[in-house]
Formats: sequence, C-alpha cells, structure tokens
Amino acid sequence: MNAIELENVSKAYDNFTLDKISFSVPSGTIMGFVGENGAGKTTTIKAILDLIHIDEGSIRIWGNSSKNLSKDIKAQIGVVFDGSNLHENLTIENINRIMISIYHNWDQKKFYNYLTKFKLPKNKKIKDFSRGMKMKLSIAIALSHNSKLLILDEATSGLDPMVRDEILDLFLEFIQEEDHTIFLSSHIISDIEKIADYVTFIHEGRIVFSENKDELIYSHGIIRCPNEYVPMIDKSYIVGIRQNSFGAEVMIKNADIFKRRYREFSLEKTSIEEIMLFISRGKGADV
Amino acid sequence: MIGLIKKDLLNIYKSIKLIGVLVIFYGFIAFIGNNPQDFSAIFIFIFAMLMLSTYSYDELAQWDRYALTMPLSRDNIVQAKYIMMILIALMGFLVSNISLLVLNRITKADYIFQGIEISAAGSVIIIVFYSIIIPIITKLGVTKARIYFFAIYMVLFMSGSFVFKRIKDKNYIPPKELLDLFELLIKNIYVIIPLLVLLILIISYMISIKIYRKKEF
Repeated sequence: MNAIELENVSKAYDNFTLDKISFSVPSGTIMGFVGENGAGKTTTIKAILDLIHIDEGSIRIWGNSSKNLSKDIKAQIGVVFDGSNLHENLTIENINRIMISIYHNWDQKKFYNYLTKFKLPKNKKIKDFSRGMKMKLSIAIALSHNSKLLILDEATSGLDPMVRDEILDLFLEFIQEEDHTIFLSSHIISDIEKIADYVTFIHEGRIVFSENKDELIYSHGIIRCPNEYVPMIDKSYIVGIRQNSFGAEVMIKNADIFKRRYREFSLEKTSIEEIMLFISRGKGADV
Repeated sequence: MIGLIKKDLLNIYKSIKLIGVLVIFYGFIAFIGNNPQDFSAIFIFIFAMLMLSTYSYDELAQWDRYALTMPLSRDNIVQAKYIMMILIALMGFLVSNISLLVLNRITKADYIFQGIEISAAGSVIIIVFYSIIIPIITKLGVTKARIYFFAIYMVLFMSGSFVFKRIKDKNYIPPKELLDLFELLIKNIYVIIPLLVLLILIISYMISIKIYRKKEF
C-alpha cells in the first residue's frame, strides 16, 4: 500500500508551475524528495497537506483524498516545516498543554522523553532556542502523537552536521516500525543518500525520476573520455554531459547494458548528487 | 479547538498580567478624579487590543499552516478566533465591572449601573468592531489589515463628524416618525442591540469561513 500517491498534480502560479507531477511513497519506506531551491518541493508538500488548492490531479494519503482527511487520519501524520511554527513567547510546558487538547493521541510521556533526549529546557521560551533546538522540538512534537507518517520539509537544512546526524538517526529509529513512512524533502543530498530508500527528483516543477535509491545509483555511472569520443555513444544512454578543453564527463544510464555494449569505456560509480547535477546543469545528448 | 483557544490565552497571558497592573494604576487615577464609570470603558478597549495580538503572534509564527496539518479543520481555526473574541469582550466586561465595584466601595459612590451600562456598550462596540475586522484579517493577514483598520476608523469618524456638523449647521429637526422610531428603539434597546449584534456576528462568521476555506498557505 502507498502512504502517499500523487497523480498528475498541477498548480500554476504567475512565475512557477507544478506540472502534472505523479509519484507514490510506499508504506514502510523513506522517500527523499530532492531538487534545487525553487524546484517545487515546498509547493508539492503544501499540496499534499492541502494547504494550497491544486488546479488538477489527485492526491491520496493511505488511499483517502487529501482534501477531506478525517481528524483521525490527520492525527497520524507528523509534519515539520523548515522554520519553527511555534509562538516565540511560549515554553515547552505551554506547547504540551496546547497539544494535549489538539491531539487525542498525544503521548505526553513520549514527548518529555524526547525533550530529555534532545536536552531541551522545559521552562525556557522558544525565542531563546537555537535553530537546532527549535527543529528538535518540532520533530519531538511530530513524533509524540503516534504518527505513522512523517512529512518533513527541509527539516535538516541549516543545522550543523552533528545535530543533522542525530536527527537522521531518529528517523531511522522511527522507520523500524513496519507501517511507518517518511517523506523527507531536502536539498542536502548527503542526508537523503544516507537514509532514503527511494528518491524523487523534481526539477523546474517536473518530476525527473522517482526510483529506488540503490537501483538508481547502480543503473547510472560516469565515463571520462576525450571530447571527440562523445559522439560515438548512443544518445539513449546519455543523461548529461560536462565538457571542457581537457575532455568530457558523461553520465550514463542503463549502466549494465552500456557496459556490455561499450567495453572500451570504463564506467565509474556515481552518486545521487552527481546524477542530479548532470540532469540539472549538464548539457543534454543533443548538444 | 480548545487547544487553539488555550494557545491564544497562553500567548496573551503576559499582556493580561500587564493589564492587571494598569487596572490598579487607572483605578488610582479614577479614585483621585472621582469618575469610576469612565475608567470602566478604558478596560474594554485595552482588552480588545489583545485580540489583535493573537493574530499578530499567529502570523509571526506562520501558525496557521502548521495548525492545518493537525487534526483541525479550516472551520475550527475560524471558530476558535470568534470564540476567543467573545471571550476577550467578556473578560474586559468582567474585569472592568469588578474593578468598578471595588472603586465604588472605596469611594463610597454609586456608579454601578452607569458603569455596567458603559462597559456593556463597550463590549458591544468591540464585538461589532471585530465582526467587521476579522473577515478582513482572515483575507489579508493582520499586517495588511491594519491599514484598513485606520481607513475604516477615519471614514467612520470623518463622515460621522461631517453629518453631525451639517445637521447642527442647518438646525435640522428630524421628522416626527424618525423620532418615534428612535424612541421605540431606545425603549427596546436591551432586545434590539443583542439581536443586532448576534446578526452581525453570524454574517461576519459566515464571510470569514468562506474566505478561510479558499485561502492558501
């Protein structure tokens, strides 16, 4: 079963369009949602959460239309945005009192356990928290009402590597439960490479790929060769090309078949980050 | 929804404490000036400002987009604000009357009925004012809506004083039917005003709900 399913979702703004995007997040997995700033990650997340009204297409969460989610279903979704959305003059005690009344499944004990784990002060006002502390608090809230789905928009951005690592470990702990799912948007690809099972890449409002991370890495590779060798390669294998006066780097897809067909080229391993960079910044095969 | 009201109350808690200090301060002035009934109206308006603060706090934190991811509907968010507004008007009414009672005791004067009437009128003005303002805040956000508050205030104030001046200049005597109507209205004021306020509240609420359902975050 899919936790989230998007089908031909479009939303047009004056200077940006989310263009018929479709992908699904299988239950029990971590999906990394990557793309450069302004590619449409936050717009997509807002559409999933019904914070914006889509022009066309459909979005389903556990098979239910995202437009009319029941309160019971919403209570099982934990959301963290890139900035803290908590009022600066409140304390953690205040937040606990508010959340108890909002979530019928609020687990106070769990919440305070997370706070102890994160070393967050209970009586200090949120305005005195660092960005990392605010983010940890938002994550603690998202995890303290027995959520089964976490939707995180740039939750690790702007944090130092230590805190990021700590948070990523927490996500890995969360995903141990079979029916738990994480949909995590980030432009920090190393985080996605570390924890995601699937990767969806959005570029200029369109989905470029939405695939299993390992398969994606194994099915791609880079060859480095003199510029004049590039025309010898069948265009259907080429994802992107980087050229300079010393030679060319070519990102290849369908790596297995390519290796059998072009034995003269040595194919090097690649990463999600490189694949993304070749797609978004490299030249196409026709150039 | 109770959580949302709690959130607003916790946010303005510090301001409420400050109002407590002001009650003592103004109470002292009223005591010296020997006019406790004027003092009661001031508090209603000070309390009313708290409602705007709840919107400012929410806007600063971008709270609404976060709240909508919780088990709350869009309607719940609007409902909570209207309940909060009525609560604030009631709190203002209560605080001003309690302090009036205390002042009356100290000054040994009898301004109770007059004072209650003034604070009740103040509460009504606040509810009507916010019934106009809340749909505007819902549509534009509190920062942009502030400009409109001043515009509404200025238009009402200037047109009111203009009409008043014209009537006064022309030495105009209203027709008997109009005077009779006013008399009838004044006689039944305790029925008409609450019904009118209720009607304004319902219309305002329905407009706000309609705006909020279409809003994007």
